Amino acid sequence: MARYGMLIDTKKCVECFGCRVACQMQNGLPPEEAFIHFYEKETGTFPNVNIQILPVQCQHCENPPCMKNCPTGATYKNKDGIVLVDENKCIGCKYCVVSCPYQARVPNHKTGVVEKCRFCVEEVEKGKAPICVATCVGNARIFGDLDDPNSEISREIIKRKAIPLRADLGTKPKIYYVR
Amino acid sequence: MAWGAIISWYLFLAGVSAGAYLTATYVGKKFPFAQTIRKTGYFLAPPLLAVGTLLLVFDAEAGLKHPLRFIYLLKNFPTSMMTDGTYIISIFLILNTYQGVMEYLGKSVNRWITRLGVIFAIGTAAYTGLLIGVVKSIPLWNTSILPVLFIVSALSTGIAATVLVSTFFNRQACYNLLTVKKIHVSLIGIELLLIFIMLYITGSANEVAYQSVMSLLVGEYSSLFWIGLIVVGLVIPFLIEGIEIYQHGLATKPKYHEISATSSNPSFVPTLITESTVLIGGFILRYLVLAAAMTITLF
Ligand code: SF4
Ligand code: SF4
Repeated sequence: MARYGMLIDTKKCVECFGCRVACQMQNGLPPEEAFIHFYEKETGTFPNVNIQILPVQCQHCENPPCMKNCPTGATYKNKDGIVLVDENKCIGCKYCVVSCPYQARVPNHKTGVVEKCRFCVEEVEKGKAPICVATCVGNARIFGDLDDPNSEISREIIKRKAIPLRADLGTKPKIYYVR
Repeated sequence: MAWGAIISWYLFLAGVSAGAYLTATYVGKKFPFAQTIRKTGYFLAPPLLAVGTLLLVFDAEAGLKHPLRFIYLLKNFPTSMMTDGTYIISIFLILNTYQGVMEYLGKSVNRWITRLGVIFAIGTAAYTGLLIGVVKSIPLWNTSILPVLFIVSALSTGIAATVLVSTFFNRQACYNLLTVKKIHVSLIGIELLLIFIMLYITGSANEVAYQSVMSLLVGEYSSLFWIGLIVVGLVIPFLIEGIEIYQHGLATKPKYHEISATSSNPSFVPTLITESTVLIGGFILRYLVLAAAMTITLF
């Protein structure tokens, strides 16, 4: 039993989309469907403007509204806190799509099943990191067990003062951002 | 938005079905002579709900390909509002089908069954608002006024559908039911009020909510909002029905439920316009609420 989470250091992200492409390959997604979305935000006031790049995917909320609202129970959390969709139970009602504050849900246009980032659970169970972490050229991503105080991620969250997106919503997301 | 026109139809039809059942029950109790309206309401409720539910099924593509999966819809009780709604709608469909069949056979229905039907009709109307009202990530929906608005609109469109169809079968069926018209006009007025209360309160909640509201009032959806919903869907029927009630008052009929022998069909055309515009407005309301939805920002 672990409580897996991720740290994304937006200052190190060079917006190469490598993670998104690798994720699409890993999950067999067509080019127009992706589990990782990029948001850009201008910060600061002219002339000191800064473009902040924010890669967003399923935050594997501890308190996921998508799971609460999913009528079929297709959305569930595994023993390691990874939020998953049982593709044999999902009816494609898209209630999870509207419920997710992070807009992380992606309907599969072939099957109608709604999918999303799965933290590459099959890799993680082999003791490896999700593909987006392994592939990141800027070393912007760290994956690990948030319950283990000695894990790299736990230490780096404290050191770099990483915080989740919109923690005020109470969904307890498990991706921490350095911004 | 992930939910578009199909879900709008679903929310709309479920509301009309609930409203038609309630109209029939009310009229059946208050005006036993008004058989056409009662029958029409009870006959309309089951097919409208069935069609609405079928639309939901069509929108759920993965389920459509594997129909057995729909049984899982009952699983996440009481956590998921959609599961709760599935129970409510299923029970209401059973009750209103029974009521409709008994009406057709000319048999009386145990009044407790009708009462249960009334409860589940209200439940169905409320559910259509609650389904989206509980979605916290979309500020336009996440308000307690929305389910109330949808209940009022369900009643109003239910009356409209029932009266409209009744009029085709029996032109005299409706214009003598002044009470129903008075209720209808009040509902339209309340709806108008609720829409603006909702938009003002929601619009002040946060930036995204404000943008949603603005897209309705002045932005992308403003013509559909002002012309379709406000003018056609609410103001026109409000005025026509209001004038009609006013004129009825002037005519000083001793008892409004007596069928007037002098008037041939004084209110056929106005009735036609009022009730169809109310129905159009009811659909546009659902459509706009879904279309103008925006998810909260992440920054
Ligand atoms: S980010 Fe969205 S999809 Fe992922 S667990 Fe949270 S609510 Fe569900
Ligand atoms: S689309 Fe599938 S996973 Fe999403 S809420 Fe509906 S049944 Fe659950």
